[in-house]
Amino acid sequence: MPPKPATKKKKVASPNRVEVDDDLEEWKKSKQLLKPKDQIELQDFELKELVGRTLVMTNNQIPNNIVEFSYVEKSFIPVPQVTNYIVAYECRGTIIHRDTEEAKAIIAGTDGEDGGMLNVYKSLIFTPIGSEEFEDKDKEKDEEAPAEQEDVGESEGVEAPVEEKADEEKKEEEEEIKPVSAKKLTNQFNFCERAALTYTQPPRMQETQTTPPPVKTFSGNVLQWIIYDSYQIDYAEQLEEKERERERKEKDKAPVSKYLGPPRKSKKKLPVKKGFSEEQEMRIFECWKVLERMINLNTYDEIAKDYRYWEDPSDEFREEEGTLLPLWKYSYDKTKKHTVTHICWNPWYYDLFIVCFGYLEFLKPLTEGFICLFTIKNPSYPETICLTESAVMCSDIHPKYPYMMVCGMFDGNIQVYNIQASAKQPAYMTKSHETKHSGIIWAIKWVPDLPDGELNFYSVSNDGKVNNYVLMQTELSLTTIINLYLDRDAAAGPDGTLVKLKACATYIVLHPSNPIVYMVGTEEGLIYKCSINYNAQYLMTYQAHTMPVYKIHYNKYNSSVFISCSGDWRIKIWEDNRADPLFVFDLGASVMDVEWAPYSSTVFGAVTAEGKVYVYDLNVNKYKPICTQAVVSKKRNKLTTIAFNYNMPIVIVGDDKGMVTCVKLSPNLRVPCKPPKKQQHLDQWTLQCMKLDRLLALVREPSVLAVHTDISVSDKSTI
Amino acid sequence: MSNEIEETMKRIQSHKGVVGTIVVNSEGIPIKSTLDNTTTVQYSGLISSLADKARSVVRDLDPSNDLTFLRIRSKKHEIMVAPDKEFILIVIQNPTE
Repeated sequence: MPPKPATKKKKVASPNRVEVDDDLEEWKKSKQLLKPKDQIELQDFELKELVGRTLVMTNNQIPNNIVEFSYVEKSFIPVPQVTNYIVAYECRGTIIHRDTEEAKAIIAGTDGEDGGMLNVYKSLIFTPIGSEEFEDKDKEKDEEAPAEQEDVGESEGVEAPVEEKADEEKKEEEEEIKPVSAKKLTNQFNFCERAALTYTQPPRMQETQTTPPPVKTFSGNVLQWIIYDSYQIDYAEQLEEKERERERKEKDKAPVSKYLGPPRKSKKKLPVKKGFSEEQEMRIFECWKVLERMINLNTYDEIAKDYRYWEDPSDEFREEEGTLLPLWKYSYDKTKKHTVTHICWNPWYYDLFIVCFGYLEFLKPLTEGFICLFTIKNPSYPETICLTESAVMCSDIHPKYPYMMVCGMFDGNIQVYNIQASAKQPAYMTKSHETKHSGIIWAIKWVPDLPDGELNFYSVSNDGKVNNYVLMQTELSLTTIINLYLDRDAAAGPDGTLVKLKACATYIVLHPSNPIVYMVGTEEGLIYKCSINYNAQYLMTYQAHTMPVYKIHYNKYNSSVFISCSGDWRIKIWEDNRADPLFVFDLGASVMDVEWAPYSSTVFGAVTAEGKVYVYDLNVNKYKPICTQAVVSKKRNKLTTIAFNYNMPIVIVGDDKGMVTCVKLSPNLRVPCKPPKKQQHLDQWTLQCMKLDRLLALVREPSVLAVHTDISVSDKSTI
Repeated sequence: MSNEIEETMKRIQSHKGVVGTIVVNSEGIPIKSTLDNTTTVQYSGLISSLADKARSVVRDLDPSNDLTFLRIRSKKHEIMVAPDKEFILIVIQNPTE
């Protein structure tokens, strides 16, 4: 049996553990087999030789012929032969083999009574207990191999319960035999200890280095204005909080106004646009405008300096003569074909002026008109552009509200712009044929506001009507002030009906000090002095010109003096209620525009269709202009309008090629009045009035011979 | 409105002597430019820091005051800057041209 466990053990050892076993049993290898010195050296064949062993029935060691000495008989007595039979162990049992006669007899005889007992016997009979017990004892003796114990134990375990349970379980004899429950019987003395040395893990070091996190240096300054700003924000928040508090209280008080809440919220949730918001775009636009002006200032640097500082030094050596220094030229690409029909300075900003683009060549009609606002600061491009459906013939700016601009069209319509609000859409316009004029509007003028503050203006047109428009809430309300009927008999129409002829009004001007008086110039060359109070008759009729009157202008210093110009080449200066002019000047070409200078009572400027600008100073020369200068080419261009700046010594003139030229008046053209030695305290205004009065007194002298004066003056002027 | 801005910008670019125009947003990134890439980046970076500094100077002197425009006249050019919180407009002009 001993070799068995060894083989078993090897089988049990899993392949995984082979290495470990090798390691562990290494020490064994060094162990050499020790031979006893007296061991006989045998040959191979001797070792291989089989030594036969035979078993015999007889005991060869039994002695033969054994004799014993008998002291009784005093002789040797042979001892009977000892048999081969040896009893090694004897145990008296109750077990009998079932096949024996005795057993059969018992089974047959004691069937009913002793069944229980017999069962016990039966079970015992089945199993060769005896032999097992022997084996057990043998095994328990050799303790050398503990592993072996387990193996043996298994078989032992199988049988053991049988022995114990034999008494208890009588019926299930055969099932009991099967090793169902392999409960191991432990032997408390059979102690074994097993130890194993685990593989020692050598210590190892592993290191990694990560990339260092990015380092950034922060720095900031706290400046005074940053603190100031944060305080401002804080203050604004506080105010807002108070406002909200107040609103909440109000809401609590008046639950009716609750609906006001939601729209506010929706306002706050404005969609976040990409790029810039409307407000920011507005600011960008403003900035671009300023930058454009800066660029222009650089480009036209010399002109800008001239405009401000250059005074013609040659004037000192010229007596009674002056020059015009051309400065900028204003034009807009889209209006190169238009005629400048009207220009006027903004009463609020002295460097801003309005230019109306229409046309006078009626054979070459243009479909659209423009109103451009130019500024001296930006000569390259208009500040504001209003595009209109029809050619613009005249315009006016309200003196109190310098953003309210009214303009009259070629087709008889009127548009009122609020430039501050929008230059694209007119605030008011005439829509129906009932409210508009039925001819070209030649002049339009704001008049003093109505008592309840409504703005209103007058307009005159070819249709012989003077209309007054009042700006109502949403519309223009029209009142016809007067129909300008001619002082002639009614003419017969084609069908025989009598038609009262009307004058074609070309200009209207309001009396600067008396708001109910106004004057109208007509195409017939007449000037009507009218009053608002009379709509059927004129205060006075001046037989002024023989061609259309283009302009009438009141003197700034004396409102009883006015000037008129006409297509009959003449400029005439009139005094109120005097049928004959004080002065007559013939310029040799149709005078398109004339205007009194704002800085002097005796200076006026005029432009002719020949492209010349004339400046007169009656105080210096009553007969000749002190300056005549061609501003544009005589052949191609004709000047149509002139406007003096009220602040700077500059004049703008417009021509029929859409160009506006700015010229500077030389010092000789704007000589200020010197106060007489005794009256040093008098201001310029009084001096100017005095100057004009003196002049008028001179001219008025032969008032009795009025006709004679007129002729003589006109004769002289034409020389 | 953006149309008008575009138009004004084009007009400015066509002006005599204008070398270039740049629009820089609040983060200092050039949005629009008529100059080449490197010049634009250089101008926008330098000018925006200069504008910040200039604003700081103006506001430090009087916190209720603010910088509105900045003009730098050099021998060759004039750089006109319109600094705002949300944007900076830069125009470079050669005034002698």
